[in-house]
Amino acid sequence: MANGGKEGLTPQAARSLVDSIDVFIFDCDGVIWKGDKLIEGVSEALHTLRSLGKRFVFVTNNSRKSRKQYAKKFSKLGMEIDEGEIFTSSFAAAMYLKLNNFPTDKKVYVVGEEGIKEELKLVGYESIGGPEDGRKSIQLESSFFFDHDRSVGAVVVGLDQHFNYYKLQYATLCIRENPGCLFIATNCDSSGNLTSLQEWPGAGCMVSSVSCSTQKEPVVVGKPSTFLMNFLLERFKIDVSRMCMVGDRLDTDILFGQNTGCKTLLVLSGVTTLPALLDPSNSIHPDFYANDLSHFVQLLSL
Amino acid sequence: MLTSRVISHSFFPLSPASSSTSSSSLSSLKTILSPFLTKTQVSYTRNSRMASSLTARASARKLENANELIDSVETFIFDCDGVIWKGDKLIEGVPETLDMLRSKGKRLVFVTNNSTKSRKQYGKKFETLGLSVKEEEIFASSFAAAAYLQSIDFPKDKKVYVIGEDGILKELELAGFQYLGGPTDGDKKIELKPGFLMEHDHNVGAVVVGFDRYFNYYKIQYGTLCIRENPGCLFIATNRDAVTHLTDAQEWAGGGSMVGALHGSTKKEPLVVGKPSTFMMDYLSNKFGISKSQICMVGDRLDTDILFGQNGGCKTLLVLSGVTSLETLQSPDNSIQPDFYTSKIADFLSLKAATV
Repeated sequence: MANGGKEGLTPQAARSLVDSIDVFIFDCDGVIWKGDKLIEGVSEALHTLRSLGKRFVFVTNNSRKSRKQYAKKFSKLGMEIDEGEIFTSSFAAAMYLKLNNFPTDKKVYVVGEEGIKEELKLVGYESIGGPEDGRKSIQLESSFFFDHDRSVGAVVVGLDQHFNYYKLQYATLCIRENPGCLFIATNCDSSGNLTSLQEWPGAGCMVSSVSCSTQKEPVVVGKPSTFLMNFLLERFKIDVSRMCMVGDRLDTDILFGQNTGCKTLLVLSGVTTLPALLDPSNSIHPDFYANDLSHFVQLLSL
Repeated sequence: MLTSRVISHSFFPLSPASSSTSSSSLSSLKTILSPFLTKTQVSYTRNSRMASSLTARASARKLENANELIDSVETFIFDCDGVIWKGDKLIEGVPETLDMLRSKGKRLVFVTNNSTKSRKQYGKKFETLGLSVKEEEIFASSFAAAAYLQSIDFPKDKKVYVIGEDGILKELELAGFQYLGGPTDGDKKIELKPGFLMEHDHNVGAVVVGFDRYFNYYKIQYGTLCIRENPGCLFIATNRDAVTHLTDAQEWAGGGSMVGALHGSTKKEPLVVGKPSTFMMDYLSNKFGISKSQICMVGDRLDTDILFGQNGGCKTLLVLSGVTSLETLQSPDNSIQPDFYTSKIADFLSLKAATV
C-alpha cells in the first residue's frame, strides 16, 4: 500500500484504505463541522461511505455538550446520528469515574459546561460547579475565608467558556485538601474551531491552570488517551486494525490512532495546516492525509 | 511544551470468540478493563528557562550566628509575603529587625512576585504597617514588567495587553507605555455563537500576564490572538507562582495559573521577569552598583526566593514563617538547599555567637 503520509493520499491508496477498514472513527470539530457550520461535502461523503457498507462513530474531545445534545446538533445539520454512535470526552469522564467505582455519596466539582454535568448525572453522580459558578467572584479582604465542600472526591476539568478565578480556586482547594481527590481532564486540546470564523482556547488552558496551582498532573480521558477505544471495541467487536481514525489534530486525533493501533487519516480542514504537518519539528505522522473528508471520498472514484 | 505520553495500555482487543455475551455492556466492560484503565500522562514543563543549580549543594545549615551573616553582606533582599507580613498582618519582630539592620548600615530591598500593587501602593502598605520603607526600595513584579519593557526599548507607539491587576497598569503608565485590558476586561463575556468573530488590536506588541482575580475566557482568547497573530508580540509573565498568600488565612491559586492558561493555548514559553528569573537581581545590582556576593536573599519559598538567590549567585536564607516548613526543606524530594534557614527574620536579633 502506498504510504500517503508524506505525499498525500492517492486514489489507489484511498481505495486500499477503504477496503481494509470496517469502521471509521470521525473527530467532529474541523472534520465534520466548524462551529455550527457543516464542512462542505461532508453529508455526501458520509453517505458514500455508508453505501460502501462502512460503519462510523464520532469521537470528540469537545466536552461542552452531552452525547444526547450532540445527536441534536447532528439532526439540526441534517444528519441522523444515534447518540450511541457518539463518544464525547464528557462521556469519557463520567465513565472513567463509573468504571473506577467512584462512590455515589461523593461529589464531583466541574470546571466545565453542561455536557459534563449531564453525563455525570446520567451515571448517577452529583456535581457542583459548572456554568453557574461562572457568576461567582471572590473578595480578597483579610478576613475572607474561601470555603469548599469536603465531600468532593473528584474534580473534572474541561473546556469552560465561563472559566474564572472562583472556579480555579475551588478546584485547587478540592485537589489540594480533600484526601484522595481525583483530578480528571476531559482533554488537553490547546485550541479548537468552536466557531466557524476562528480558533478558540481549548480545555488545555483550564487544565493547565489547575495543574499549575495544584502542581499535579491530571488523568486525561479524552484523545490521545486510549480510554475511549475500549468502548468502540466493545461496540464493534472487531480488530482495531480494521478501524481508521479521521481527525484534524496531530497531538490528539492522530496520536490516539497511533496509541491504539488503528489507521490514521489527517484532514486539513481544521486546525492543522500542510506546512505544520510537513515541518521538521513535527514528530507525529499520520498514515495518510487529505484536504478534507469530501476530497478523501472523491479519490475513491478517480 | 505539552507532550503526551501513554503510560499504560489496558484495553484488550476482543476477538469474537472471547467476547462477553453479557446483556449489560457496562459489566462486560468491567471484566475487560484492568483496575488501572488507560492513563495518558500529559506533562507540563514549568520554568523551563529557570534551571535550578546543577551542582549538588550541601544541606542548609540552621542559622546560629546571625551577626556573622549580617557582617558578611552589604544588602539584604527580602521577599514580602511570609517574610515581612502574612496577608495584612505584620510578622512578629519585623520592625525591630529592619531597624537593627539599617542601624548597621545595611541596604534593604524588598522584592515581591506579587503584581497586584504598584511600588507606590506597596509603599503605602508598608506605611500602614508602621514600617519606614521607601518606594525606591520596593521591587514588585509589576514594576519588573515595566522595567523589562524599558530595558528593551519597547516602542511607545505599541500597546501592551494586560492580563492582571491594577499594579501592572500603574507601573506601565509610570513608564510611559500604552495598555489595554486589565480588570475591566473581567466584565467582558463572549458567546460562542455562529458568526461571532473576536477582533483584537493589531498594535499590541506585548502581552503581560500576572495574577488576575478577574481572569476569564475573553482575556485568554484576547491574549492568545495577540501572541499568535501580531508579529513579534512578546509573551511576558510577572511570575509563575503556583499559590500565593493573598489573605493570611489560606493559600490562593497564583499567577502561575494565568500564565499556564496562556501557555496552554499558545504553546509558547513566556519570558518570566519575577523570581526565580534573575532579571530583578541584575536590575538591582546595576542600579545600586553592588556585587552579588555582597547580597543575601531572604525568602520563604524555595522554588522562587531561594532559587532566585542561587541563580543570581548571592547568599540565601530561608525563613520558616511562610509557606515552607522544615519538613519540606529536609524532605528527600526537595533539591533546593539554601545556605541557611531560620524560623523568622526576628531571629537576627536573638541569634548571636556564643561568647567563649
